Amino acid sequence: MSSWKNLLLRIGDKSHEYGTSTDFKDHIETCFSALRRELEHSEKDILDFLVQCVEQLPHKIPLYGTLVGLMNLENEDFARKVVENTQTNLQDALDSGNCNRIRILMRFLTVLMCSKVLQSSCLVVAFETLLSSAATTVDEEKGNPSWQACADFYITCILSCLPWGGAELVEQVPEEIERVMVGVEAYLSIRRHASDRGLSFFEDDDEAKNGLGEKDFLEDLWSRIQDLSNNGWKLDSVPRPHLSFEAQLVSGKSHEFGPISCPEQLHSPSTLSGITHGKQKHEAELKYPQRIRRLNIFPASKAEDLQPIDRFVVEEYLLDVLFFFNGCRKECAAFMVGLPVPFRYEYLMAETIFSQLLLLPQPPFRPMYYTLVIIDLCKALPGAFPAVVAGAVRALFEKIADLDMECRTRLILWFSHHLSNFQFIWPWEEWAYVLDLPKWAPQRVFVQEVLEREVRLSYWDKVKQSVENAPGLEELLPPKGGPNFRFSVDGDTERTEQHALSADLSNMVKGRATAREIISWIEESVFPLHGLEVTLKVVLQTFLDIGSKSFTHLITVLERYGQVIAKICPDQDKQVMLIAEVGYYWKNNAQMAAIAIDRMMGYRLISNLAIVRWVFSAENIEQFHTSDHPWEVLRNTVSKTYNRISDLRKEISSLQNGIVPTEEAATKAKAELEAAEAKLTLVDGEPVLGENPVKLSRLKLRAEKAKEEEVSIRESLEAKEALLARALDENEALFLALYKNFSNVLTERLPDASRAGTLSELKSVRADSMSVDLEESSAMEVDNENERQQKSQSNGGRTSSDGYNIGEKEQWCLSTLGYVKAFSRQYASEIWLYIEKLDVEVLTENVHPLFRKAVYCGLRRTIN
Amino acid sequence: MASLFKDPSKLSAYRDRRFTGSQEEFEHALQTSTTVYVGNMSFYTTEEQVYEIFSRAGEIKKIIMGLDKNTKTPCGFCFVLYYSREDSEDSCKYISGTILDDRPIRVDFDWGFQEGRQWGRGRSGGQVRDEYRTDYDPARGGYGKLVQRELEAQRQLVDYGGDSLGSFPPVITPQYGRRGGSHGHGGSYRRDYQRKRQRDDDLHGHETSKRTSDHESRRSSDYDSRPDKNPRFRESGDSDDDEEDGLKRRT
Repeated sequence: MSSWKNLLLRIGDKSHEYGTSTDFKDHIETCFSALRRELEHSEKDILDFLVQCVEQLPHKIPLYGTLVGLMNLENEDFARKVVENTQTNLQDALDSGNCNRIRILMRFLTVLMCSKVLQSSCLVVAFETLLSSAATTVDEEKGNPSWQACADFYITCILSCLPWGGAELVEQVPEEIERVMVGVEAYLSIRRHASDRGLSFFEDDDEAKNGLGEKDFLEDLWSRIQDLSNNGWKLDSVPRPHLSFEAQLVSGKSHEFGPISCPEQLHSPSTLSGITHGKQKHEAELKYPQRIRRLNIFPASKAEDLQPIDRFVVEEYLLDVLFFFNGCRKECAAFMVGLPVPFRYEYLMAETIFSQLLLLPQPPFRPMYYTLVIIDLCKALPGAFPAVVAGAVRALFEKIADLDMECRTRLILWFSHHLSNFQFIWPWEEWAYVLDLPKWAPQRVFVQEVLEREVRLSYWDKVKQSVENAPGLEELLPPKGGPNFRFSVDGDTERTEQHALSADLSNMVKGRATAREIISWIEESVFPLHGLEVTLKVVLQTFLDIGSKSFTHLITVLERYGQVIAKICPDQDKQVMLIAEVGYYWKNNAQMAAIAIDRMMGYRLISNLAIVRWVFSAENIEQFHTSDHPWEVLRNTVSKTYNRISDLRKEISSLQNGIVPTEEAATKAKAELEAAEAKLTLVDGEPVLGENPVKLSRLKLRAEKAKEEEVSIRESLEAKEALLARALDENEALFLALYKNFSNVLTERLPDASRAGTLSELKSVRADSMSVDLEESSAMEVDNENERQQKSQSNGGRTSSDGYNIGEKEQWCLSTLGYVKAFSRQYASEIWLYIEKLDVEVLTENVHPLFRKAVYCGLRRTIN
Repeated sequence: MASLFKDPSKLSAYRDRRFTGSQEEFEHALQTSTTVYVGNMSFYTTEEQVYEIFSRAGEIKKIIMGLDKNTKTPCGFCFVLYYSREDSEDSCKYISGTILDDRPIRVDFDWGFQEGRQWGRGRSGGQVRDEYRTDYDPARGGYGKLVQRELEAQRQLVDYGGDSLGSFPPVITPQYGRRGGSHGHGGSYRRDYQRKRQRDDDLHGHETSKRTSDHESRRSSDYDSRPDKNPRFRESGDSDDDEEDGLKRRT
């Protein structure tokens, strides 16, 4: 890479390009003199690269802005091109709804204004354009308030610029900027308070603070900006290098910025029905998602004491680095730790990363990305960051009972993976007390699930060793994981006839029997004599045993003998029995059970509906609140169904893209052929219709081929569309079955709505009943854990004050409701497609209010 | 995402010499493949461990463990096949360089698995890199094969007496290996043996990357005509000395 490029790229960093200097002024001067030399013969390259740097390294925008300001003094034309280019890009971004680009380019414009490259009045005009679009959107008469997410985003963009140029704007165009601020205030008064209860990390948020003036993201930003304004627009987090060059910059020519326009939202009449409004709102929120939700897990005494606006700016920096340096580990970590701010921010950084890892409905990237970032930061800041991460884990662990179910799952997966990268070292003794909690206590379940995942990533003995400092926790480790074969011939178990059948089958497999041979063996000598149940048990157990050695063994046996299984289990009832056999065989190894079920669904040996039925079988329902196992299977099933749909959608869209060019090619070839045929050619002096035969037949061939291609693409499109229609039907059936099952089990177990209409009432049910009827509650909990809990409660000490007071039934309801919300939220886009049917068949009037609330919350649907 | 620091068209510096096509074809294969190559694994890592970590990047279709062509035991690499390209991209981005079984594993795009590629290409049966290594790597069979042979030769010249293997100190002491300090080289590996697995080597169905086609592929391929090699398993209990297999085999 040429040196000017490196200088542009590395400006502001501690890097060898700039020697020992860390002074921004030096950096700008060095870089500027290099660029000045190159400007004449590589203007285009410089422009392109500069724009790229601006868009991907937005925390350096003040430096780039000042550079452009200096270039403006040398070469007005170059600066004009930068402004024009930015305008084009901004317009593109607005049209396509590219949120990050819009926000960043607006910031760049602000900084160009500070460096006298852009007229301040032009920036105000851009603000006003966004403002007026936003105001129209939320206007019930003229706009479409279901698109408030977009309007809020535009206002956020305006406010986000002010930390970078508020001081200059107030100085240069005080009246205009005042007008904008008044406009924003007016907007805030007509928009609706965004209450995203379905997306909050903690369950208690909605109940405790609901309607009590908790600020939403935009209201919060507005108050930070007002603070900033009251503070004379002074802040620490934004470098202002242009001030060092002010004397020179004032003589630069300020360029104009042409008008931009915001895409018009679909106007829709104010009489939107509830459902249509809900669907549109959902769509808008997908397109203009809120970037961050603050986690606030660290006590004020620990976290850095920053001005609210500095907090906001650093969050912006961090989120941008995370966004643009996905996939570039080294740079990502380096920029995360090297932001241009004069204060420490490890706690804020940890909180921001965790807020992304746990962001609902989903983070911008796979959760594993944040695992990697945290690992890299622990290595980059070995003295500071690991302790902060541990602090975050402790803080989240304290509040785990209120943490959203989806977040809990992500936290478990992250934490186990994180520890596996650091030799499984963790002060487990701190958490040894969970053994004294009932087996459904969320903290205890969390520890148990983390240990289970650790075992999967490593091996049992290793994990056991890692909890040496809290040996009791061994009790929470999963079983050692071997198979549980019904017809094992080890040990002294009595050999039955079924053992013999299993051995026969096993020998047939070893003797390379074909699926067909095995089917006829079953039909002749097993099924007629022993009946379905025995046949199913023997065949399934034996196959599972043959495939038990590894994932590949399992696949192999299923591929080879799937037909046999399909023959025995052609319908849902039998498939449920089949899954139960898998559960029995792998009862000590949840991972293998989940994999086997997943694979069987992949080979369509079992349907997703059969899996749902099995998940809601009595045996599984019992562990809804104490184990992730049934939920893991359910998650896999829904996601596999969804993956099939999204694969088909992708294929269809690519086929559709292909259809126009092939159509054109076919038409063109046909036209050429016709033209050639119409041509008169002289053959042996006689005029003959048609061009020379060789060329003609070639054209004919080509036309036929093009036509064939068109037809074939249309055919495969039709085929895919039929498959998609089938998959969508399957999906609809799946979600209906899922919700019906949820509704049934919850209705059976939830206390009457008059006693538990809200979650906090549900949580206190047991406290009430305990005072009324102590005997009943102690009879309900006879297992060891509870005896121990009661003992330790009488002993006093830590667990007595922190002991978990929610009863088993209530916890079961809380956990299950949490999963209802999590599934609804994750697949909201699909579920909205079937909402009418769902309303009729499941969400009827007499459905329990807590169940309805969980579904509505997850779908972010308003309850009226 | 960021194009400033990374050339997205450069996917892998490694050029497989067994790839028969041109450079362009090789690059095209890398750009479109849904297979990743996983390297620097411990010999003791199981498919299920691989599944747990790699399924966090997306739905896995197949895992093919790399095997020593003589001993038919895992030799420190594998292929993971995904259903979708995005998932295999995520797996390269997020898993490469992270720790699995105490080792930083390497994850790279691969041009696509073909029968035969599961075998180690080193002269001694394992991977080439394990021929010439000079460090002591207990999770990959101890010293490199060449060094092992040299040690054998020396041993024939000098009588060290007793447990001769124990008297060769590791060249590099592993930072947090599984070796118990006072144990011999073999003793503490017991659990690994029980987990060490082999698998059928000739049963990879043909390649399709459609989730929806699992069903069809099951129906259409003719399993009955395949040779049925029974998986050979190392039974637990009979293998305490296998660790030194590579060292002792030549004595």
